[in-house]
Amino acid sequence: MSTAMNFGTKSFKARAPDKGSFPLDHFGECKAFKEMFMKCLSENNFDNSRCRLQSKDYLECRMEKQLMAKEPLEKLGFKDLMDPPPSPENRGSKP
Amino acid sequence: MFDNRLSTAELLIQGCVRALHRGSPRAELFLRRRPPSRLLTRSGSRKSRSQEDEWRTKNKTVLTYITAAGVGMIGLSYAAVPLYRLYCQATGLGGAAVAGHDADQVETMKPVKERIIKVSFNADTHASIQWNFRPQQTEIYVVPGETALAFYRAKNPTDKPIIGISTYNVVPFDAGQYFNKIQCFCFEEQRLNPHEEVDMPVFFYIDPEFDDDPRMARVDTITLSYTFFEAKEGQNLPLPGYD
Repeated sequence: MSTAMNFGTKSFKARAPDKGSFPLDHFGECKAFKEMFMKCLSENNFDNSRCRLQSKDYLECRMEKQLMAKEPLEKLGFKDLMDPPPSPENRGSKP
Repeated sequence: MFDNRLSTAELLIQGCVRALHRGSPRAELFLRRRPPSRLLTRSGSRKSRSQEDEWRTKNKTVLTYITAAGVGMIGLSYAAVPLYRLYCQATGLGGAAVAGHDADQVETMKPVKERIIKVSFNADTHASIQWNFRPQQTEIYVVPGETALAFYRAKNPTDKPIIGISTYNVVPFDAGQYFNKIQCFCFEEQRLNPHEEVDMPVFFYIDPEFDDDPRMARVDTITLSYTFFEAKEGQNLPLPGYD
């Protein structure tokens, strides 16, 4: 936090996260997915774009184990990783 | 006419100086700020008096207008407080009058693949909390518009459970408005049992409008810094807009 009380300088405004706080994974239930993600990152020079599948897997694990509120993955930005829906009835209203 | 007046004034001043030494009535007349009667014609006096009156009224009107404007400004500044509150209620901005990000934006945003940004991670603890808190990766390369996951690790090496609460900071400050956290572990109490170690994820994205902002054109590194404090029993922290 900025502590210098300079008139006119912008200070940092902390914002609450959109979907709240992750409950702690006390029992390490999703640790395996996390390890896969970290391994992918270290192999790919910490490029997030190449490890999105692993991050999706980790979040799915969390949702399964009740460590995260269930959300459709498009809402978490994984639309491009989803398989296209087989039937004409689509979930989202994407043009 | 003006020149006449000037030369008359000069004459008068000279006369006044002489008269002061002699104490003549002419000096008194001058001091009373009235031209000596021998220089005035009747129509001239009426004209100058009405002109003076005109000026006086004009001055008074102008003064009234200026005073009214001043009072109006002061009144406006007092009225601004309830008016702004009404405006915020009407438009739903609720005090955070910045171009806020939309939660639905995550679904529709397109990653800007050309702009690679390095997000580096920093972890701090307050002196009194005995957790070991550190990031699990020093940096990660993201592009705006793409959601990213990062991990921190916290360990409680002591024999008693410790409750921590964290806050975060983004440097540079201006980039902080584009840094949106979908979910993280901040601002809520997190309890660690003795000798327990947990992974703490942060799920975030950088707003695609980051690429359009000219002030951010030279920003290539964003540093996310978390600090953990110990939460005491019954302590109520002012959490930013947290329900």
